[in-house]
Amino acid sequence: MRDLLPWRVLRLASAIAACLCLIAATSLVRAQDPGQTPDAAAPVDATAASAAAAPDASSAVSDAALDGGWSDAGVLDGSAPLAALAQPAPPTFAPPDAGSATSAAPTTQLRDARVPQPAPSPAPGTTEAASSVVKTILGLLVLLGLAVLGAHPRVRRLESALGISQVVTAGFPFVALGLVARAPSVGLFDDRVLAQIAPLLQLGLGWVGFLTGYQFEVRALDDFPKGTAAFVGAMTSLPFALVVAACGGLLLAFGQPWQDAVFLRDGIVLGSAATITAPIAASIARERGVAPGTQAVLTRLGLLDDIAGIVGLLFLGAFFRPATADVAWALPGTAWLFVTIGLGFSVGVVVYLVLRRPATNVEQVALVVGCVAFAAGLAGVLRLSPVVVCFLAGLLVGNLPGDYRPGVRKVLRLLERPIYLVFLVFAGALWNVGDWRGWALVPVFVLARLGGRALGVRAAERTGGASELAHGRAGIVPAPMGALSIAIVISFQTLFAGRAVPWIVTAVIGGAIVTEFVVQIGLLGGRAQRPRVAALPPGAG
Amino acid sequence: MVLRLVILGAVLGLMQAARSFAPADHGAAQAGAGTLAFGFVLLAAFFTGRSFKSLGLPRLTGYIAIGMAVGPAVLGLLTPAMVVDLKLFNGVAISLIALTAGSELDFRAIRPLLRTIGWITVIAVFGTTLLLTGVVYALRAHVPFMADLALVPALAVAALLGVTTVAQSPAVVVALRDETESEGPVSQTVLGVVVLADLVVIVLFAIASAAAKSVLGGDADVVRTLRELGWELFGSLGIGVVVGVVIAIYLRQVAGNAALFLLAVSIGVAEIGSRVHLDPLLVALAAGIVLRNLTELGERVLHEIEGASLPVYAVFFAVAGATIHLDVLPLVWIPALAIVGTRAFGLLVGTRIAARVAGAPPEVGRFAGFGLLPQAGLALALAMLFARTFPSFGEGAGALTLGVVAINEVVAPVFFRIALLRSGEAGRRRARDLSLSGGEPSPLEAPGR
Repeated sequence: MRDLLPWRVLRLASAIAACLCLIAATSLVRAQDPGQTPDAAAPVDATAASAAAAPDASSAVSDAALDGGWSDAGVLDGSAPLAALAQPAPPTFAPPDAGSATSAAPTTQLRDARVPQPAPSPAPGTTEAASSVVKTILGLLVLLGLAVLGAHPRVRRLESALGISQVVTAGFPFVALGLVARAPSVGLFDDRVLAQIAPLLQLGLGWVGFLTGYQFEVRALDDFPKGTAAFVGAMTSLPFALVVAACGGLLLAFGQPWQDAVFLRDGIVLGSAATITAPIAASIARERGVAPGTQAVLTRLGLLDDIAGIVGLLFLGAFFRPATADVAWALPGTAWLFVTIGLGFSVGVVVYLVLRRPATNVEQVALVVGCVAFAAGLAGVLRLSPVVVCFLAGLLVGNLPGDYRPGVRKVLRLLERPIYLVFLVFAGALWNVGDWRGWALVPVFVLARLGGRALGVRAAERTGGASELAHGRAGIVPAPMGALSIAIVISFQTLFAGRAVPWIVTAVIGGAIVTEFVVQIGLLGGRAQRPRVAALPPGAG
Repeated sequence: MVLRLVILGAVLGLMQAARSFAPADHGAAQAGAGTLAFGFVLLAAFFTGRSFKSLGLPRLTGYIAIGMAVGPAVLGLLTPAMVVDLKLFNGVAISLIALTAGSELDFRAIRPLLRTIGWITVIAVFGTTLLLTGVVYALRAHVPFMADLALVPALAVAALLGVTTVAQSPAVVVALRDETESEGPVSQTVLGVVVLADLVVIVLFAIASAAAKSVLGGDADVVRTLRELGWELFGSLGIGVVVGVVIAIYLRQVAGNAALFLLAVSIGVAEIGSRVHLDPLLVALAAGIVLRNLTELGERVLHEIEGASLPVYAVFFAVAGATIHLDVLPLVWIPALAIVGTRAFGLLVGTRIAARVAGAPPEVGRFAGFGLLPQAGLALALAMLFARTFPSFGEGAGALTLGVVAINEVVAPVFFRIALLRSGEAGRRRARDLSLSGGEPSPLEAPGR
């Protein structure tokens, strides 16, 4: 093993270098594009189209932005949709329990144009129309091709051989491909194309949420050792608090006004993403020779802290909804909280009734895909997070009695990877890597998260409630972030606009990648030293 | 049955709630709307199809019926924008269906039926086209847009309507063959005829269209028409052969994720093909024929497609139902019913005569004609092309052709299913598979738990 170490380090270093080169190349391409500046991340097409559609409104927005009249961006970053550009009214957010503020507020649609927004279609028969169609088709084919490729056993074996079989780093080439395809000089995924294939993104977000909820076994909570609740509480609240404090400080330094509800919103999403542990924490512990009992506990802990992330997103979706004029429901934040929960469980009941009926394998695949698409679509249309609604539905379906569960689990597993890889390509396409402030947040985010987790373990040890769990510290503290973190931040990006949104996306995706590389490097050291950890006392796992 | 209706009611209720949130087709919710429409249509069509099956009706009639019910013309749960979003499925479905049809066309097996297929195409399909032309001409007093036309222009338009309304549906035939797991001379003959008739109808439409343009004082360019027709037919077949070879290489060299790969190919064929004026149906059909007749991969392709066929059929036929303009039927019901009746008479009688001339097995003469009655994709496309090519005829022409397609789309599959059951071919494929596997169901048919 010791002989192999330099070669593995070399391979890892080359992988990191290649990834950084890709990011740098993409940033360079974007920076050289005249239509894109760090503060004007709107794609060329959208900018040109908006200028053509409403030049006066566009200039009015620029003037307002220069005057500092826009506390919330989505305008400053050039990412507001055309509808918002045409109506330069102050953005409004419903503060927590703000009653009917949503309905009473001036209505400006605040959404990030990096989210697929339907741009005006070019006139049929024009070269632009043909080009758009061909791009859409090529985009779809690229996505499908990548999904096929990424799910191929040989690719998976290669990932394993390279030692990058973790959830984010294995998918990083797909994120990078999304970035490259989105670059204006490549132009494969422009706004129009992304808008046309956006249903896949909703489906991907819903799939991640449904799978996470489905795997959450409520019955397993009974088997957890005493003090698990306190342990999990410490492991989620401390990283959350530390990330919110550290990243919030940096956001303040970047000029984000702390009085604005948007500041709180951005902090919550960063904190929520930071709380989540990848389910692979257990396998990391195994690599380090931790006892099997601890590995099982770590697996379940990996599931438990997902709740914190989901709750964060649930609150964001309910209390920080952008005010819009084009909808018929005007409800206060608390009502939206109940609508979200009610919708999740209502859909869950329907999905349960659908899936518990006898079905062949073919029918089961169709039904599972249909159910997840239906749940994600309902959430999307109601401007709720598909991750949250599908999580609640999956939670219900996964915990109600029925002999359908092994079959459904098989279907979820079967399609998980292709859908997830397509989702990562989208994440890459929506990721604005050109703003340095996002990269400045990355180390702060990573260090605050790791620090919070270390503090969490210490706090749990001091209380003594979960001393046996502390044997898993080696896996817990530097545990990588799960796919749910990425899903949360992408879902956030699809729901909200703001100057800081691209920075937050960079912080979380970049942080996830950096964390995983840190873990990989740590693993190499761990393999070289082969530490032996004492087995847990009986009953610990 | 009761639980199925409860589920259907719940799905419809949730959809209605979502629609009440954003009543208009607003762009901001479009991404969610596309996903919602797909999931909703898939679930609603699945359970309606099952309910129809338990009533002894074809599943795909259930898919079409629920599409009509929830579409813009009736309940409006699917908005026009959602239907447009879902039309991506049409191309993919047609490609997959054509790939299936091609993969089932084993020339060695259908060689004894080739004579029958040829005679049915000539007598039933071509003969019915002439019959329809005559009937439309005779009914011109009841067809508002033809009432004032002189003899020759009226004949040209009647011929064009005759070609448009005679078109069959390979999609329905393949879907019903799969659903009833039929195998035998009737289903083989029907498949062969609808595929061949598809080519014939495309050629006839091009010729009739050029003739009508010329007669009506348009700028018909015969050379250009022939060139475009040649490209569409022979270009499609040539590209289809290449696609077949590519699929064969993939299945041999890579093998993994074949279903996803076939899906990707279908999207490419459907979307890129139609942009460069190729017929996706012919491209995929040729690819399937290559795979079946020049390689040993035909069965494997069918097996891989089978997994994707349920959602594809459900969404495709439900969208076809949602596209039907029910509102136009009251305006044109007299000529539409006359055309539907004449078409059915011509195809059924023509098939009987052709089968007798060709010396086909008696069940082919009795039942194969019912397989020529359903209409769907091609007929709809021709109807819309007709309305677009001759805008001077106004909405009336489109309404008439769409009305005919609507009636045949809903009613005819029921008769074809009964014909397959009566012919004794339904369930034969399943019986053969079971005997080959020693009584074990195939993995796809196995219960999912």
